[in-house]
Amino acid sequence: MWKWFAGAVAAVAMSALAVSGAQAAFKLDGEPKIAMLQLATVNDGGWSEALEYARAKTEEALGVEIAYTENVPEDNSEILRTIDLYVSRGYNVIIGTSWGYGDAFLEAATKYPEVAFVNCAGETNNSVNLESFYARSYQGWYLAGIVAGHLTQSKKIGSIGGYPLSVVNWDLNGFLRGAQSVDPAIEMVGVFVNTWYDPVKETQAAEALLEQGVDVLGSNMSTPGPHLSFQDQGKWSVGFQIDVSDQAPDAVATSMIYKWEAYLIPTISAIIDGTWEPGEWGWWEGIDTGLFDVDPIASWVPAAAVADVDAARAAMIAGTLDPFQGPLHRQDGTLAVAEGEVLSDDGLWGMTYFIQGAIGTMPAE
Amino acid sequence: MAADFVQNWLATTPGFATPFLLGALGLMINERAGVLNLGCEGMMLVGAMTGAVVSFHTGLAGAAIPVAMLAGALVALVFGIAVVVFRTDQVLTGLIVVALGDGLTGVIGRPYMFEKVAGFRDLDLGPLSDIPWLGPILFQQDILVYAAAALAVLVWWGLDRSDAGLRLRAVGEDPATADIAGVNVQLFRLSAVVLGGALCGMAGAYLSLASSFVWTEHMVGGRGWIVIALVIFSGWRPGRAVVGALIFGGAEALIPRIQAMGFDVPIYLVGMLPYVLTLAVLIVPTILRGERSPAPSGLLLNYLRQDRR
Repeated sequence: MWKWFAGAVAAVAMSALAVSGAQAAFKLDGEPKIAMLQLATVNDGGWSEALEYARAKTEEALGVEIAYTENVPEDNSEILRTIDLYVSRGYNVIIGTSWGYGDAFLEAATKYPEVAFVNCAGETNNSVNLESFYARSYQGWYLAGIVAGHLTQSKKIGSIGGYPLSVVNWDLNGFLRGAQSVDPAIEMVGVFVNTWYDPVKETQAAEALLEQGVDVLGSNMSTPGPHLSFQDQGKWSVGFQIDVSDQAPDAVATSMIYKWEAYLIPTISAIIDGTWEPGEWGWWEGIDTGLFDVDPIASWVPAAAVADVDAARAAMIAGTLDPFQGPLHRQDGTLAVAEGEVLSDDGLWGMTYFIQGAIGTMPAE
Repeated sequence: MAADFVQNWLATTPGFATPFLLGALGLMINERAGVLNLGCEGMMLVGAMTGAVVSFHTGLAGAAIPVAMLAGALVALVFGIAVVVFRTDQVLTGLIVVALGDGLTGVIGRPYMFEKVAGFRDLDLGPLSDIPWLGPILFQQDILVYAAAALAVLVWWGLDRSDAGLRLRAVGEDPATADIAGVNVQLFRLSAVVLGGALCGMAGAYLSLASSFVWTEHMVGGRGWIVIALVIFSGWRPGRAVVGALIFGGAEALIPRIQAMGFDVPIYLVGMLPYVLTLAVLIVPTILRGERSPAPSGLLLNYLRQDRR
């Protein structure tokens, strides 16, 4: 309940962004020296690896060097110590990579007003020299769902998620919504493994889904086990964060991948130019910015699926399609979004339910 | 539907139970000789990584198991030398082994993360596997499951029936008396530690070679700690360790299936199941047995002849 309330407050505050005044642009003192704090090792197969690609692409595009430190835990004193070290060595642009960095980054931003901070996270802290950025990832999962909808023969797809948080729930629901756009009768079994990372549990969840007759899996996790299990049974899967097709080429139809460089390149370039104005409520954008996509789509995926994906992507960029446009019903049949409306940001951050057609339990708040 | 569910659940339980059982058998050998090695998690990590690396390079999962056991034994040997020869604190040294295993495997295993490796698939024992209902549960497991069951018998026989086992237990119960009786306390303890390390290494290799066919950092995920609780639950007896491992394995196998069935259960509570079980396992035996603990009385006590009273 509290989380829902906090989410609602944050979202209401976000919508106030439009009327709030613009801030002064941030000016960098001296040459840019950029550093990134990574939550895990850069080849973790998921979140950190996607950000590592973005780091390399940003270096290349802007001709800058971006130093990085791996395995910085979500522990304020550890984060601050790492930032202190970088700042004392003259670094003046610090990139964070986790929601759990939010408080430490705000503290550091206050302590070092001459340093620019950005943090890759959902709703969190922002200030005159700190901006949080995140993706409307449910749009990408909607596209993945279209691919799944074309592939499924049992009309039963599956999802494995980490924890039932709104940022995960909208991916799972978006995936189902995309599949339902192909065939409204499609159902989705949703399983949460209560960890961000456990190859054994993820593999077992995949096996349990196969036992239930699921033939297309959308894995919201990052270890290869689930894809291998589906490949063994001659079924299909969708990867997340980075392209995982090399892990199970016969199973992985596509991967919903992040391209964080779509944020980092223009933002860091603006910081260097002295034109950066951090959004008062952060930066939370969709597929129109090129921040994520289903990429690549395997050559064996039917052409009709690819055509539908292209059409849906174009419609979302044009603003004529929203994955959660009404009528949208919750799993229990109650109306979540009325006809002619779309789910608000407030509603997205408060998404603590499965939508209609999902099989599985969302723990009540 | 319900019958299918129960069958699937029971058929996957041994696979979950096996790493718990192997680790528990290993620690049991240590502890019966009077040495507590809290480094199980670290040794399992080393085993998991070594197994995956060997299997990746050779394509032979069968060859990976002995090498993983050797790697686990090697880590245990370092622990053993520290504890048995230099008489460092067992608890602290064990914790260092956890950190050591985590760090070492993170660095060495880095290039192998997420590489698919050859592993152990479930056996098809022909007509036996086709027996309705019981076939998939008893005769469609991977070979390591059967190996673990055989090892449980072997460890039981070794500890409770063999001459060496008698000496080993004497060393664990009362090292001074065993010493007077002519048993080489240091050698027995060191051997027990190394043997235990080998089994913990095998338990780890099971996770990478039979449970997931892949190595990733931190993949043991706390199972090493559950193993430590399991040894206490079993009262240091191999037979009870089998039962305990099946209970823990059953709980772990149940979680994803309950959800996939769409049962309306609070998943956070279900997710807590293995840990609640661990807690119960630690409390119940003490209540039942009152003051008398089945723990070897020489456990945690380092021994040096000069200190003998």
